[in-house]
Amino acid sequence: MLQCHVKGCNANNFPLELQEVVLEEQEAELNEDFLRNMLGKLEYEALVATCLKLNIQDLPPTIPEDAAYNDDFLQKLHHALLETHVITGKMVCPNCQHTYVIRDGIPNMLLAEHEV
Amino acid sequence: MPHFLIQFAQQHEEFRLPELEALATIEDVEIIYNPEDYSLESPFLIVEIESEEKAARLLKRAILIKTIIELWGKGSSWDDLADKVKQHPERWPQYMDVSFKFSVVCFGGTIEMKDKPAIINRFAFTGFRGKIMLKNPDVEFLLIADCGLDPDNLIPHTFYMGKLIGHGKRDLIDMFNVKKRKYIGNTTMDAELSLIMANQALCVPGKLVYDPFVGTGSFLMTCAHFGAMTVGSDIDGRQIRGKGKTSIRSNAQQYNVEGRVMDALVFDVCHSPWRNIKSGIFDAIVTDPPYGVRAGAKTLGRKDPLKQATEPKMLEDGEYSHTKTDYIPPTKPYEMSEVVADLLMFAVKNLVVGGRLVYWLPTVTEEYSIDDLPTHPSMELIANCEQSFGQWSRRLITMEKVAEWDGKETLGPPTGEMSRSKTSSTNSIGHFGFRDKYFAFGNLESSRRKKILKELYDKGGREAVRAYMKSEGEKKRQEAAATSTANVDAK
Repeated sequence: MLQCHVKGCNANNFPLELQEVVLEEQEAELNEDFLRNMLGKLEYEALVATCLKLNIQDLPPTIPEDAAYNDDFLQKLHHALLETHVITGKMVCPNCQHTYVIRDGIPNMLLAEHEV
Repeated sequence: MPHFLIQFAQQHEEFRLPELEALATIEDVEIIYNPEDYSLESPFLIVEIESEEKAARLLKRAILIKTIIELWGKGSSWDDLADKVKQHPERWPQYMDVSFKFSVVCFGGTIEMKDKPAIINRFAFTGFRGKIMLKNPDVEFLLIADCGLDPDNLIPHTFYMGKLIGHGKRDLIDMFNVKKRKYIGNTTMDAELSLIMANQALCVPGKLVYDPFVGTGSFLMTCAHFGAMTVGSDIDGRQIRGKGKTSIRSNAQQYNVEGRVMDALVFDVCHSPWRNIKSGIFDAIVTDPPYGVRAGAKTLGRKDPLKQATEPKMLEDGEYSHTKTDYIPPTKPYEMSEVVADLLMFAVKNLVVGGRLVYWLPTVTEEYSIDDLPTHPSMELIANCEQSFGQWSRRLITMEKVAEWDGKETLGPPTGEMSRSKTSSTNSIGHFGFRDKYFAFGNLESSRRKKILKELYDKGGREAVRAYMKSEGEKKRQEAAATSTANVDAK
């Protein structure tokens, strides 16, 4: 959902690449309405690519046609989106290489002085 | 359609109708009432609702509704009321053999216990044969006498009778009471208003709600309680991380909404990293922007634009300063009117159509006019409720995105003319320079106070001064209770 927002960095600034991550899994209640709501808002290919980097391999490479009512798919999407938390790590912009640090599960997206 | 009587809570009066409308939207219930029947000075409103079941749905998450009854009669005296009820005997048979009880309640006065049986017996003509049960009866009938708000008038002027449909969810206010919350800051919003905001934002399961000035996350909790997925951000990461074991996350655990408080991020909403999705990301934005009084608003940059660096700074050890883990970029003050204008524009870009923006706007009462509200052709004003603190007040603004943004249209008047530079027109807006004006009240107060104290001393000596201080202290305490902000320092 996040893109690099450094001033002047407008192309190829998404998805941010996750590096050196520590993951934590937390079970959460399946919320199908929310997942359906998000289907239209996600950049699915970027999500799959990011998940592969994190060793989450069960998402299909393309979004199923019946995604909204495919229980199996929704469960997998739920796991990737809501049960997988990045506790520490970095998000790196593929274009300008700006590094956003994640600490205690909280990403720091602040820009430096010369970037605004 | 059948008539129902709503009894509201007699507080936050301006918020009551907007909340009722929001509840009707959430539950898809059609309500009809005559706006002229509604008065801020009375808790009662008669409405038409399709069915009992639909009336009950309005109560599921109502904060400002105390009770709804199916109205069986309204009169000018107990006798008149009894006559009105007698006109509809067709209502009685279905309750003939179930357990029941009658309750007598009085608004703005009292009816003594010993007088109640006689009042109830006036309604014996209904002939109910069921068992009378004071605890958990199958059905409860209410006899209501209304004396009005005037404390000198203890004689009821209007009487109602009806079958109880149910009570609102005012007990949630206690559940979210900030005094019982583990992690709070000095700008934590009180429980009742946070809950009302969640209703105004139409929070339901499946929706995504965002607070760009998240602070200690009050709104994430109430919105998540009603089922929405929530995310927040703040320029100051310290409040998000919290202290020791207490944080936004621990609050989410406390309220059992952990799975729905997804993330809190650190960034400046003026430089937001949300990927631009044409149809919008958020279903609602619920926030209390910093007024600059308890918490100063900040945005990235330097006060003096000439000093702002344009190149990264190399430190002596050969690393760039901004790559250090403890790097904190400089921030500059953020004028209230700019905050609000930016917030509205953010909503225009990132809300889905039908999504709502719910936010607080502080205003100086004397200077406020409705034209002060920033507008945008894509955003429609739904409600504007004032909570007054005397010389200043804050307004809860609810707007709905009614049309896609065409990518060009900017804010309409008054902010349309408002450039980043201070022009004479911006100075006249009721929330412009709010911080300075707020603190100016203090100076004015203190000079006025000195004068009063001197006069009192001249007249009545020490005793008079002491009595005055005591009454002022009481007033202050009340005002503090009204703002209901926890006096715990966040930092």
